[in-house]
Amino acid sequence: MTSVKTFAWLTLLFPLAGCIVNALGYRVLRGKAPGYVGTAVLFASFVSAVLMLFALQDLAAEERHVRAVAWDYMAVGGFDGQLALLIDPLSAFMTVTITGVSSLIHLYSVAYMGGDRGYARFFSYLNFFVFSMLLLILAGNFIFLIVGWAFVGAASYLLISFWFRRTTATAAGIKAFVINVLGDVGLVLGTFFIFRGTGTLDYLGAFEKAGEISGGDVTAGCILLLVGAFAKSAQIPLHTWLADAMEGPTPVSALIHAATMVTAGVYLIARMWPLFEESESAAAVGAIIGCLTLFVSATIGLVVTDLKRIIAYSTMSQIGYMVMAVSSGAYVAGIFHFYTHAFFKALLFMAAGSVIAAMAGVQDIDRMRGFRGAMPFTFGCFVIGGLSLAGVPPFAGFVSKDEVLAYVADRGDWHVALVVVGYITAFITALYTFRLIFRVFFGEPSPEARELEEGHLHHADVPRNPMTGEEEDTDVGFPGPEHHIAEREGPMKGAMGVLAFFAVFAGFLQIPNVTDALDTFMEPTFEGSRFHEELHPSDALTFGGLAIGAAFSLAGIAVAYLIWMRRPEIAAQVRERFRPLHTLFVNKWYADEALDRLFVRPAAWFGRFAQQTFERVVVNGLFVGGPVGLVRAGSAAVRSRQSGFLRAYAALMVVGLTGVVLWLLIRA
Amino acid sequence: MTIHLSIVLWLPAVAGVLALAARRFAGWVTLAGSLLAFAYSVVLLIDFNASSGSLQYVTDEAWIEQLGIHYKLGVDGLNLALIVLTTFGFTACTLWAALERDVARTPQFFFWMGLAHSAVLGALFAQDLILFVLFFDLMLVPFFFLTLIWGPTPRPDRVRAILKLFIYTLVGSLLMLAGAIATGVLSLPNEATTFVLSDLERIAMDEGSQRWIFLCFAAAFLVKMPAFPVHGWMPDGYRNMPLPVLAVFSAVLSKVAAYGFLRVVMPLFPDAAAEFQMLALLIALASILYGSAMAFTTTETRLILGYSSVAQLGFITLGVFALDDAGDGAQGAILQSVNHGLVVLPAFFIVGLLAARAGSEDLRDMGGVAFRAPVLAGLFLIVALATLAMPGSANFVGEFMILFGVFDVKIVIAIVAFTGVVLASVYMLRMFIRSMHDRVGPSVDSRDIRVRDGLVLVPLVAAILFLALYPQLPLEKGEQTIPSRVQSARQVLAGEEIAVDPREAAAEAAEAEEEAERAREGEGREP
Repeated sequence: MTSVKTFAWLTLLFPLAGCIVNALGYRVLRGKAPGYVGTAVLFASFVSAVLMLFALQDLAAEERHVRAVAWDYMAVGGFDGQLALLIDPLSAFMTVTITGVSSLIHLYSVAYMGGDRGYARFFSYLNFFVFSMLLLILAGNFIFLIVGWAFVGAASYLLISFWFRRTTATAAGIKAFVINVLGDVGLVLGTFFIFRGTGTLDYLGAFEKAGEISGGDVTAGCILLLVGAFAKSAQIPLHTWLADAMEGPTPVSALIHAATMVTAGVYLIARMWPLFEESESAAAVGAIIGCLTLFVSATIGLVVTDLKRIIAYSTMSQIGYMVMAVSSGAYVAGIFHFYTHAFFKALLFMAAGSVIAAMAGVQDIDRMRGFRGAMPFTFGCFVIGGLSLAGVPPFAGFVSKDEVLAYVADRGDWHVALVVVGYITAFITALYTFRLIFRVFFGEPSPEARELEEGHLHHADVPRNPMTGEEEDTDVGFPGPEHHIAEREGPMKGAMGVLAFFAVFAGFLQIPNVTDALDTFMEPTFEGSRFHEELHPSDALTFGGLAIGAAFSLAGIAVAYLIWMRRPEIAAQVRERFRPLHTLFVNKWYADEALDRLFVRPAAWFGRFAQQTFERVVVNGLFVGGPVGLVRAGSAAVRSRQSGFLRAYAALMVVGLTGVVLWLLIRA
Repeated sequence: MTIHLSIVLWLPAVAGVLALAARRFAGWVTLAGSLLAFAYSVVLLIDFNASSGSLQYVTDEAWIEQLGIHYKLGVDGLNLALIVLTTFGFTACTLWAALERDVARTPQFFFWMGLAHSAVLGALFAQDLILFVLFFDLMLVPFFFLTLIWGPTPRPDRVRAILKLFIYTLVGSLLMLAGAIATGVLSLPNEATTFVLSDLERIAMDEGSQRWIFLCFAAAFLVKMPAFPVHGWMPDGYRNMPLPVLAVFSAVLSKVAAYGFLRVVMPLFPDAAAEFQMLALLIALASILYGSAMAFTTTETRLILGYSSVAQLGFITLGVFALDDAGDGAQGAILQSVNHGLVVLPAFFIVGLLAARAGSEDLRDMGGVAFRAPVLAGLFLIVALATLAMPGSANFVGEFMILFGVFDVKIVIAIVAFTGVVLASVYMLRMFIRSMHDRVGPSVDSRDIRVRDGLVLVPLVAAILFLALYPQLPLEKGEQTIPSRVQSARQVLAGEEIAVDPREAAAEAAEAEEEAERAREGEGREP
């Protein structure tokens, strides 16, 4: 028990220590030292997370809910907020996955961010992010869930705006931050509803009393928790920040916007299962929104041309699967998909980063072609990641996605419709993934690819903002002068190699009819859950699903091959034929515009009205102008008798006091 | 009966008088006085017995016996944290002013600072209504002179701003004075008049008188905060004050108004407080929304902070008037007062640093200051995130308690108030980004802070971080006292009979006071 607690605190404190060392030592740590410090603490954190997991496994099954308390945080009145952690199979499993993938991403960054002038700052932020994420996962009560939640949002803001002199990056940062604050508000309000019903902020206490909360409160509370989950996990309608967040350096996209942070919403719903099982309707909202998101973002991924944004939309889509799963009661399947997704999506982002480096920062796939020969390692990794994402057997993504769909299908009723959408989207997923691969890696090499084949990494004469074309320099606040590709950097190669291995084999943790290691492991967390016990897809459902999934993804790849390799003119024809649809997709279903009309503009209008009209006319005119005029007149009268306004004050005071005393005397 | 509070109270003023004679070292003399007061208040904080809800370290002398006015000072969970905030804030701002080499500060400046310090402490210590009113009014006098003589703007502007401030506070002060006298006279028609708060609290005044006296006090406090729509003096006042003065003014003085509600208004006029609860909540809500909207449209950095204060004070008022069962709102309000003071102090200091780098205090002239100033950027970031009440800061804890208190009672108001939480992130990040980030402005000279700046800034940020880690400290000090301040108003609201006979309760409290005093002396502990 104590060792579990010790390792949990250590897991949490290593990244924090790294953050502080890198922040304070930015002048002392020379060269790559900050990178090694940052990576070393993460590996240390990973090791202690693994030890924590083993220590937890040593306990008897019913004891695997360990609370570690540091001190009282806000324990007054009716509140019982403590700085407390909860270590159970769910949090332990997520901690191990997150620290593992994060340490690889740190390793990759050691080389990738090599030339950047904000090197120490980058690793300080990155460490802080992992600390925040672990706090979110390990928190033992609602208070520290919210704290971790907000810290993650702040870290993500800092990393998106890492190149802080780029106006596009700062604009994306504030957008991400504000939408995340909106999610925080949802979480806090949801906590209020639940706290009102249970009288405790502690997870275990609140879950025990979940049945005592009134029906309205539990539904309101769960839907508000979902608002938080949607904002953080970029689900419709709070998803617009994620694509813009690609302004951050690529390792950030890999870490935050693929592997860890955006899955926080999935964790939240899985963690709160005792509440969601009390509210049928809230769970349904989650499942439907997840399904909607997975479809809509896949359609957008099919038409945008920015390399990182395509992968970002695919992330949204995959998280949609997870949200749909955990909202439908398929908790372990959702967590399983989170786990495989972390590997293959981080891998895809890293490979994309390598390509972008070869293009000297350009992200538009219209300008990329034929990188296969120039970057064989990157190409190999990209294909492995792509096959896993597309769900081709036997890659990791194949097993986990089909488990999600089989479990959701087992719910029956309208959930079957969700599954149909899920399979259609699996086809679209394969389509957009291989559209990307065929367009970037195949065909006639672009000038940059050619240059690389001749052994020279392309270098722009004047660095420019890839989005706006503005000129930049390479000092602090802009990307550094050098770019780094996986083929030439050991750390990048190492990190991508490990991830590629897991992108292939991670799925073997849980294979239908062979092993259900994850299911067994998670048992203590989901003990007593209705759905966890009831949902057992039949063999027909499972294997039929696997077959359909494989067929859809292979079909997707085949169609992609036909369109973008064999008959490139088809793409243009399709685009012409379905012009309105294409416009809708390219404009991201007009979500940005809708949010703008609904929230941003009214707020701006109110601000302008207050600033330009109300303050001038009412506050200054009515409340100030009146009395000031009165006193001016009075003091003018007094001034004529050689007096200053201080005397006017005294005079008025005397008059006033006399009046009051007189009035009191009369009353008495 | 102890003399401790009198020492803390008058130390800064005495140091201010000495400063007049100290010429070149005037700043350091006043600083020494403030620092001693701060040290003393920290000792009080540690020594304070949090498990007792009664007044401690009481000093009680009859001052004007015929009128029943006492020189009574005392500390309880309600004012303890604010006292530490006051001494800390004044120490930081005196240090800041003393370190400013490029501005001529005559000994007179420090005299007024010392006097202001004592006046604020007096208003917080006072346990007699007239004493409270006197200190409350005295607080403003030093600020008039500090603004008039040392303000950064042309003299006619300063005069106009001062006039505006005068008129607003004049109205408020007169009303409050009238209300205070009326309270003493009307409370005990058949006995000798008294203004001692603990005596007044045990008397139930008739509702009609309560109503108008409540309005008198509320007017004075709302103007001082300031609350929407009586904040008209704020923009001019803020523009024309020297920064170190403005920092302490914004950090400390507005809190005395919020404190006044809990010290005087709630226990003395519970019926009126319950009756006007909705009105007060709506004013608070309007302050939050209006203050936020103004803060995210103005480009003057001072006014961004000024209007954000209007919004934050709106949250605090919301907490004061939540009147929830557990008193969470009121506890959150006091915590939030401390938090807001702690973030506003460094924020104004940073405005000064930004202005020195950009050549103006306008956001439009800034941009990219973080380029060569990583330390400044890091410190500003912490301050900005704390100001927008990011979870993990003590500001969040305060806001959480306030909003839950309101949520418990008036759910719709709480939900609308959450808009203010989102808007706070907009205006603070906007200020941070447009000053520190984006392209480097044409006239911006980005350079990091000097050691001298760090001496002021780092302790302030350290205090923010400490409270972020351990908000329990101020919370548990106030736990026994603060909820009881709003108890009778809450009971009126709930339609309950006021459970305990207030006379008996007061007698018990007085007994407990004496007992605590005896125990303290018996133990031989000296604070």
